[in-house]
Amino acid sequence: MSLRLQPVLVGTGSHDTDSHFVFAERYLVAVIVQLSDDHDDEGRWFLEAGFGRIDDPNAPTFADLDEAQSWIADQLA
Amino acid sequence: MRDGDRPSQCCLLLSGWACRYKLLSEGRRQILSFHIPGDPPDLQSLHIQTMDHSLATLTEAKVAFISHESLRDLTARFPGIAAILWRDTLVDAAVFREWMVGMGRRSAFERIAHLFCELYLKLQAVGLAENYRCPLPVTQADLGDALGLSNVHVNRVLQEMRGKSLITLRSHTLVIEDWRELLRFAEFDPSYLRLKKRAMA
Repeated sequence: MSLRLQPVLVGTGSHDTDSHFVFAERYLVAVIVQLSDDHDDEGRWFLEAGFGRIDDPNAPTFADLDEAQSWIADQLA
Repeated sequence: MRDGDRPSQCCLLLSGWACRYKLLSEGRRQILSFHIPGDPPDLQSLHIQTMDHSLATLTEAKVAFISHESLRDLTARFPGIAAILWRDTLVDAAVFREWMVGMGRRSAFERIAHLFCELYLKLQAVGLAENYRCPLPVTQADLGDALGLSNVHVNRVLQEMRGKSLITLRSHTLVIEDWRELLRFAEFDPSYLRLKKRAMA
C-alpha cells in the first residue's frame, strides 16, 4: 500500500496546526497533526482523524512521519 | 478489586481517590466513575456477588472494609440505614446517566467542564473544597479515560479553559476562576447529585 502525504494546516482550535493529509492511492484515509509545545510530547504526530479502518480512538502518537505512515499502512493491510 | 472477583466485604473510602474501571484488550481502559472520601464505591457487591468491573485507588488512600455480613445485619436492624445506602446507589446511577449523556452528546469541552462542576460540588459537600478551589489528584490520562477523550484533546481543552480564564490547574489543584461561566458552558444542572444547596449561586 503506497501512501502519499500532502501538507495542510488544520484548524484544531489549538496551536496544533501543522498537519498532513494522508492518502492511500486516491483516498484520503487520515489527517495527522504535529503536536505543538502545548503538549509534553511536543513534536510527535497525532492521528487527528482517521477514516474507515484508520478510525481508531486509541491510536498512539508517532515519533515521525515514517512511523505514522507505517502504522497507517498496518491498519490498512 | 478486579473484574470477576467475589468480595465478601464492601469498602468505604476514608481518604484519597479511587475509580471504577473496565479494561479492554491492548490496555484500553474506561474509567466509569471517580470516588472521593466518604464514597462506598463497591456497595453493589453486597447484593451482586461477582464484580463486573474493577476498582482501584488513584492516590494514596485510606480505606475501611466492612464485611457483607455486618452490612446485612446493620441494614436489617436499621431500615433507615438501608434506605440511605439505597439512595446512595440511586445517586450513583444518576451520575452514570450524566456521564452517559456527556460521552454520547457533549463536546470534549462540555464534558470536562461538566466533570469539574460535578467533582467540585461533591468535594465541597464533604468539606474538601471551598472558594471554588479543590484537589484534583488525577492525571490528564485519567481524565481522558473517564471521558472517552485522547490525552491530546484533554490537554487542548484544558489550555482553552485557561485561555478563557475559566480555570487554572496547578500541582493537582483545580481553581475555578469563573464558576458561573463554567456552569453555563457545561449546561450543568446539579439536581442529579441530590446535594443540599450551598455554593450554587
